[in-house]
Amino acid sequence: MLIVCGVLLCLWCCSKNKPDADDDNPYIKLPIPDYFPDFNTYVVANRPTKYGVILGERLFNDKRFSVDNSISCASCHKPENAFADNNTKAIGVYGRVGLRNVPPIQNMAFMKFYNWDGSILQLEKQPLIPIITKEEMNSSIVEVINKIQNDTDYQHLFRKTYGDTSVTPDRIYKSIAQYLYTLISANSKYDKVMRDEAMFTAIEARGYHVFQQKCESCHSTVLFTDQSFRNVGFPINPNENETGRARVTKDMKDFMSFRVPSLRNVEYTAPYGSFGQFPTLRSVLDYFDGGVLDAENLDPFLKNNNRRIPLTEQEKEELIAFLKTLSDPGFITKTQ
Amino acid sequence: MKNYKMKFLIALPLLLLLACSKKDAIVANDVRLHFVNTFKNTPIVLGDASSGLATINTSKEGQQHGFTEIKYVVSNIRLVKIDGTEIPYYINDLDKGAAVINHAKPETNEFVLYDIPSGTYKQLKFGLGVKSELNTIDQVRFPKFYAAAGANDTEMMWEWGTGYRFAKLEGFYDVDHKKLSIHTGSTIEGEEGAYTQGVDAYRDIELDLPVAAVVGNAAPIITIKADFDKLLSGNIHTIKLSSGTGMDDNATPNRHTSVQMMRFVENMGGNGTTDKMGMFSVTTVEQ
Repeated sequence: MLIVCGVLLCLWCCSKNKPDADDDNPYIKLPIPDYFPDFNTYVVANRPTKYGVILGERLFNDKRFSVDNSISCASCHKPENAFADNNTKAIGVYGRVGLRNVPPIQNMAFMKFYNWDGSILQLEKQPLIPIITKEEMNSSIVEVINKIQNDTDYQHLFRKTYGDTSVTPDRIYKSIAQYLYTLISANSKYDKVMRDEAMFTAIEARGYHVFQQKCESCHSTVLFTDQSFRNVGFPINPNENETGRARVTKDMKDFMSFRVPSLRNVEYTAPYGSFGQFPTLRSVLDYFDGGVLDAENLDPFLKNNNRRIPLTEQEKEELIAFLKTLSDPGFITKTQ
Repeated sequence: MKNYKMKFLIALPLLLLLACSKKDAIVANDVRLHFVNTFKNTPIVLGDASSGLATINTSKEGQQHGFTEIKYVVSNIRLVKIDGTEIPYYINDLDKGAAVINHAKPETNEFVLYDIPSGTYKQLKFGLGVKSELNTIDQVRFPKFYAAAGANDTEMMWEWGTGYRFAKLEGFYDVDHKKLSIHTGSTIEGEEGAYTQGVDAYRDIELDLPVAAVVGNAAPIITIKADFDKLLSGNIHTIKLSSGTGMDDNATPNRHTSVQMMRFVENMGGNGTTDKMGMFSVTTVEQ
C-alpha cells in the first residue's frame, strides 16, 4: 500500500513539475473518425492543450514574425484555401518569390513527412524555416522574440500554457505545432459517405470508381496520400535549386520526386504541382492523359503504361466530381 | 602635486591601452591556426573571370577554373599531444570553437586557440562543417556563430534544411567562363546510430604536424593549406564540371545538391575512413 502510494506520489510530483496540461489548461479532445490512422509520435509528445492551441493560433497569425511586419504564417497558409494560397509559388516579404507552391496544412498530426521534399519529419522543427528564409519572412527567432515578449496578451498566454511568461524558441515552435495538429479535416462529403451519413450522386460514384482504378495506388488511405515520394513526370521547375526529394537524400533515385499530395480539399488549393504548374484540376488530368515527361526514375505505374494515365473526357468530369466530395467546407472556415 | 596628477592622467590611458592590448598580444599558451587556400602550392587570388586577377587552375579533366568566393566552416577543433592526449577546444560551443573561414576577409583566415595547456603536440584535428548534433541553427545558444554565418556577405545558412552551409564556393570554369557554384551541407535527420534520412556532409580532418608544436614557451602558428586543386582532382574523385539541367550536370546548385554534392564533400574533406585529410595538410609549424 505504501509502495503504491509512493509511486502515485512520484507520478503526481513528476507531472506537477512538468505542467504540460492541468485543470486550467487541459488537453483538448480532437474529433477524429475511427477510420483515421493513429497520431504520429511527435503529436503524442506535444499534445495540444487549450491555451497551447490558442497561443499557437495567435502566433500563426502574427505579422511580427516577418522582418517588416508585413506577413504572418497565415498570409500564405490561408484558411479559405485549406491553409494554402492561390499563387503558383510562395510570395514572401518585399514580394520575393520562393521555390515552390504553398502546401495546404491539414491532417498534419497523421503525417510522417512535411514539405514537398519531406525535408522535415517533426512539425515542431518547421516554423523556424519560413522565419529565417529570405524569400519568406527574412527574420530571426530572436528578432521575433524581442518583438513579442513584452506583449501582455502573449505574457498571459505563455503563463497559462507553460507556467511562466518566458518566451523561448521551443515554446513558440511547440505552440504553433499544437495549433496545426488541431487542423484536422475529416468532415467532407466523402467522410459522411464513409460514415453512412450521406450518399454519392451518380456522377460522384462513377468518379470514385475511376479514382479507385487509376489514382488510388498513390493517393491511398483516408489521407489520400501514401506519403511516398514519386517522380510523375510533371513539367520541371526551372529554378536551379530544385531537385525534388534528392535535395534531402542526395540520391538520384529521388531526383525530381515529390511527396504525393493529399487530395483532401483539393478543390480549394489551385494551382497544382510543386511550383503551381497546373492552374486547374482539369489541366492536371489532361496532362496525365496526354502523357508525362520521361525520366530514369519515372514512377513504375507511369513507366509501364506508356507514361500515361488514359482518361476519357467523361472520366475526367466524373473524377472531378468525386474529388469535390473531398472538400470540407467546415474546415476552411475553421477558427478556434 | 599638480604635476603629479597630470602625470597620472597621462599614464592612466597608457596603462589602459597596455591592459587592453595585452589581451590581443600573443601569449605563450595561444595556438594560431592559419588557413591558406591554394591551387597546389599557389595561394589563390579571388576575382571575376573578366578581371584578370583570379588565380586560374586547370583540373585533371582539363577544365580551367577560378573562384570569386571561398568560404568554409571549421569546428570541433582538437590538438593531440605526443602521448596521444586529445585537448578539445570548445568542441560543443560554436561561438567559441567554430569559425567561418572567408577567403575575402583575411582576419577570418586566422583562428586563435586560447589557453591551450602547455605541452608538445603532434597532431591537429578539426571538422570541416558542423557535426550533426550542433547543426541546428540555434540563435539563442550560439548568437555569435549565427551572426557570423548569417551575415549578408557570408550566407552560410542553409535555411530550408535548418542547418549551416559547410562550404560555399563561387566562381567560373572552362574557357567560356561558365558559372561555378558549389554549396555543401548536411541533411541528416534522426539521432546518431539511427539516422532516418539524408546525408552527413560533416568531415573529420586529421593532420599530422611536420614538426611538433610546443605550447608554453612560445605561441606556435600552424599553417594549414587547403588545396582547392583537389576539389575537382581529388584523392577520391576526378570530377568533370558541366552546366545545364541534365542528370549529371554539377557546376551549379541544381545537380550538385542532389547526388553530386557528396563527391565534392569527399574531395574536400575525405571519406571519413581511409582519407581523413581531403584537401588539407599542415605545411609549417612556426614556434
